[in-house]
Amino acid sequence: MPFNQKPQKFNASINTVEIGCGDKAIKLGGESVFPFYTFDGPIDNAPKVGVEISDMGLEGATPEMLAYYGEGASFADMAKKAAAMEGADFVCLKLEGGDPNGEDKPIEDLLAVVKEVGEAIDTPLVVEGCKNVEKDSELLPKVAEALQGKNVLILSAREENYKAVGAAAGLAYSQKVGAESAVDINLAKQLNVVTTQLGVDAKSIVMNVGSAAVGYGYEYVVSTMDRIKGAALSQDDAMLQMPIITPVADEAWSVKEAMASEADMPEWGSQERRGVTMEIMTAAASLAAGSNAVLLKHPQSVKTIANMIKELV
Amino acid sequence: MLINRIFSGNDAVYGLTEGAIDQAIAQHGAEKAVGFPNTAYCLPCYYAVTGVKVKTLQELKEALGVVKTLMTRNHELDDALMSGVATALCAEFIEALKYIDGATPYEEPCYGHLADAIIRELGVPLVTGDIPGVAVILGAAPTAQEGVDLVKSYQAQGILVTLVGGIIDQCKELGLNMGYGVRIVPLGYDVTSVIHVVSVAIRAALIFGNVTPGDAGGLLTYTSQRVPAFVNAFKPIDDVILAAGAGAIKLGFPVISNETENIVEVPGALIAQPDVSKFNATSLEARNIKIKITKIDIPVAFASAFEGEIIRRGDMQVEFDGSRVDCFELVQSKDASEIEDHKIEVIGPDFDEFEVGSKQSIGYIVEVAGKNMQSDFEPVFERKFHSYINCIEGIMHTGQRDMIRVRVSKDAYAAGFRAKHIGEVLYAKIKNEFEAVVDKCQVKIYTNAEDCTKLRHELAIPAFDKRDDRLSNLTDESVDVYYSCILCQAFSPSHVCVVTPERLGLCGAVSWLDAKATNELDPAGPCQVITKEKPIDESLGSYEDVNEAVKKFSQGALEKVTLYSIMQDPMTSCGCFECICGIEPFSNGVIIANREYSGMTPLGMTFPELASMTGGGVQTPGFMGHGKHFISSKKFMKAEGGVERIVWMPKELKETVADRLNETAKELYGIENFTDMIGDETIAEDPETLVAFLTEKGHPALNLEPMM
Repeated sequence: MPFNQKPQKFNASINTVEIGCGDKAIKLGGESVFPFYTFDGPIDNAPKVGVEISDMGLEGATPEMLAYYGEGASFADMAKKAAAMEGADFVCLKLEGGDPNGEDKPIEDLLAVVKEVGEAIDTPLVVEGCKNVEKDSELLPKVAEALQGKNVLILSAREENYKAVGAAAGLAYSQKVGAESAVDINLAKQLNVVTTQLGVDAKSIVMNVGSAAVGYGYEYVVSTMDRIKGAALSQDDAMLQMPIITPVADEAWSVKEAMASEADMPEWGSQERRGVTMEIMTAAASLAAGSNAVLLKHPQSVKTIANMIKELV
Repeated sequence: MLINRIFSGNDAVYGLTEGAIDQAIAQHGAEKAVGFPNTAYCLPCYYAVTGVKVKTLQELKEALGVVKTLMTRNHELDDALMSGVATALCAEFIEALKYIDGATPYEEPCYGHLADAIIRELGVPLVTGDIPGVAVILGAAPTAQEGVDLVKSYQAQGILVTLVGGIIDQCKELGLNMGYGVRIVPLGYDVTSVIHVVSVAIRAALIFGNVTPGDAGGLLTYTSQRVPAFVNAFKPIDDVILAAGAGAIKLGFPVISNETENIVEVPGALIAQPDVSKFNATSLEARNIKIKITKIDIPVAFASAFEGEIIRRGDMQVEFDGSRVDCFELVQSKDASEIEDHKIEVIGPDFDEFEVGSKQSIGYIVEVAGKNMQSDFEPVFERKFHSYINCIEGIMHTGQRDMIRVRVSKDAYAAGFRAKHIGEVLYAKIKNEFEAVVDKCQVKIYTNAEDCTKLRHELAIPAFDKRDDRLSNLTDESVDVYYSCILCQAFSPSHVCVVTPERLGLCGAVSWLDAKATNELDPAGPCQVITKEKPIDESLGSYEDVNEAVKKFSQGALEKVTLYSIMQDPMTSCGCFECICGIEPFSNGVIIANREYSGMTPLGMTFPELASMTGGGVQTPGFMGHGKHFISSKKFMKAEGGVERIVWMPKELKETVADRLNETAKELYGIENFTDMIGDETIAEDPETLVAFLTEKGHPALNLEPMM
């Protein structure tokens, strides 16, 4: 019997969200098929790869990353290099130094970095806060204000601070709002519901539904994304049709496979290769499960994943 | 009279505006540019209402013609309010003329027009509630001190205060630090300068509410629902102020005044409050502003870390023991007029007067009021008291209702902890956690033995009895809706609980009332309303609406469930079930095992083994998870004949449910002491011995139809 291909058709699609301005602007989402199911229908906007840089500079960078950026690179230099990295679609600036439990940098200092990076590049920009909800609810509105007119994505509004972040980014300064929840379809949906009730346009929201490194409970991430895409497409659930962005580097580089030194684990081989491997595997899995964008940091991962996307879409 | 005064005030302002515009045209020419600095909205109020951008004096003159059309003179409230809007627009025109040629008409400390940037910055805390409201204070208070006290009371609540007229000098006189940074913004001395705060509200609607300029209806809806502003106008109120006030009312901002002459109150809109010290409370209530409590005012710490703290006899200053003396805790809903928010009353001796280590009586009543409050929520709040009081450092709490025990440690006492602080904690937690339904809350704490005895028997126990009656009268038939609960979907993605009055959630923790309260408090949360308007088969408990809901909430994983059958489309389980019921084929009955039971059941499976085939959101006909309370429900496996199918339960579980189960069996089948017929692990752990026991007892299940 000959194989008879039956395309899976949905009368719903993922929202298209544009980030950035001008020629380099990128579009996330828009598809009405499951991830990489190009045999069912077209995927106009291939998943995108973002390169992470941090307000902490090259602290903790691997030798290859140091070689790529060059020691003592300014934030503007780093941003330009990140934007120029092979396979990069956009740049993500992480303001991790703002964490009150870490460096606790003052907001003005962080804003100076934000402005320097914003002025250095015309590549679409994503800005990630310090993850402390109180600090982020002060910091991120200021970031949204500082980058007015650049159409950036602000990561992220969470259950505890969605009002402050959502109102500033989504209403006052017309940026895009990242809605972050912890690997649970209902929490993701609930956050989208309350954020849109605030007045933020559903089409200005990108979800970060949470992540993990592969091998670290990652199946929860897969099943969550799977169900979100399923509900968005087969049930036409408008509150789950936001594209998904997944920060991969944070998770992949903070597990023992990436962190154990070669002195401690000689049989595991090169530490840098291990980290890159974790990052590539996690990113590939996230994309296959439904992410419309991933955030990576190592040049080799960025290149590899960009190639993978090119081959599949 | 009120309406005529508004008309006359409006006419006066209109006349002034017309004169001012004509004079400006004579002086500068009709093509002269007009507008406010640092705004993209030209004359923001006029632009928002009409959609027209005014840029020159000529256009301003034409705009005045449009304003005139709002000034209808029918003797109706709405005409008066529209004249108020016209007055406000005239005020904007007059103020705009002050800025001609880049003039700076306002100087320290007055701000006049506020830039767009300030509104964007202000909008965020307004949306988050960090600025819970905007007060507009107009005129001079009876004394400078009263005025400053009022301003400070708003400032302490985080409310943004704007000042117009005499109050500015009163604040200056007493050296009050003013400015945008401290949330006290003097606008100007002319009454027309009040438009600068109106302009803030209106631009907020354009920026944050996506209101289209010209959509006057949408604008008014936004300002009245989303901009928590109100006006405090000091006497004397002349016609012009009254006309401006009418404009505020049209935007949804109530006006509170100490003027009592020549004025008629309009409920909820124009309120007379002769006592200036009560302006704050009256205004907040009128505008429905709730102040977030960020810090509980007690001398010891409050954190969940203290929840499990044990206070030994030797360490305790005083103990309140409901098992020995009369004690109780109670929530009661009241009418808003009966409650003074944040009033905490201690009736009787304080802790200082009790002998160290003694046993005393205590009774505390938390009285709440709110537009969305329902008496069904009382027990839901009350059940949280245990956790609230336990979270206080140095205080231990056990039990509930009139069976409580509270111990206060010597350390907490030495730190200054007294009876009223229990009230502070309850007040703060109830107001914060149940903000959606509680508008006002006060606490009464009784420490007199006589009071406690009297109130326990005359107030508390009847209230508890009434609630229990309500619960036992709540049947699936007597309510209009059921609720979904998907709290467990994080780890059991396709499971949906359908919670009904007679079938609580299988975890045992979510009753129908809990689900109802959860839905009310968190409308986008895990408990959603399920209608029951389309029954398919009432004895199975199957409904089209329930099936639709289950399909939706399980993202399509489940197509249909019945509420009362274990064989046909039984309800799924997440994994948190208190009990599992499974079919026992030899006796035509079912056995029930509870989570605590570690032994063997006559099915040859232990609880964990049963759990592995019941959880995970899958339908396994013949097996279902449920809460302990469901066992004595008349809806328990109603489709298969009900509780008379139960042939075996662990002894401990059987004893727990015996009273109520016996009652149900008697009512349904006329069987006395039904539980005596039910086997347990001391009688049988295998089917043969069990059937022999059931035969000996004449258990009704043996004569029923086989279940499969």
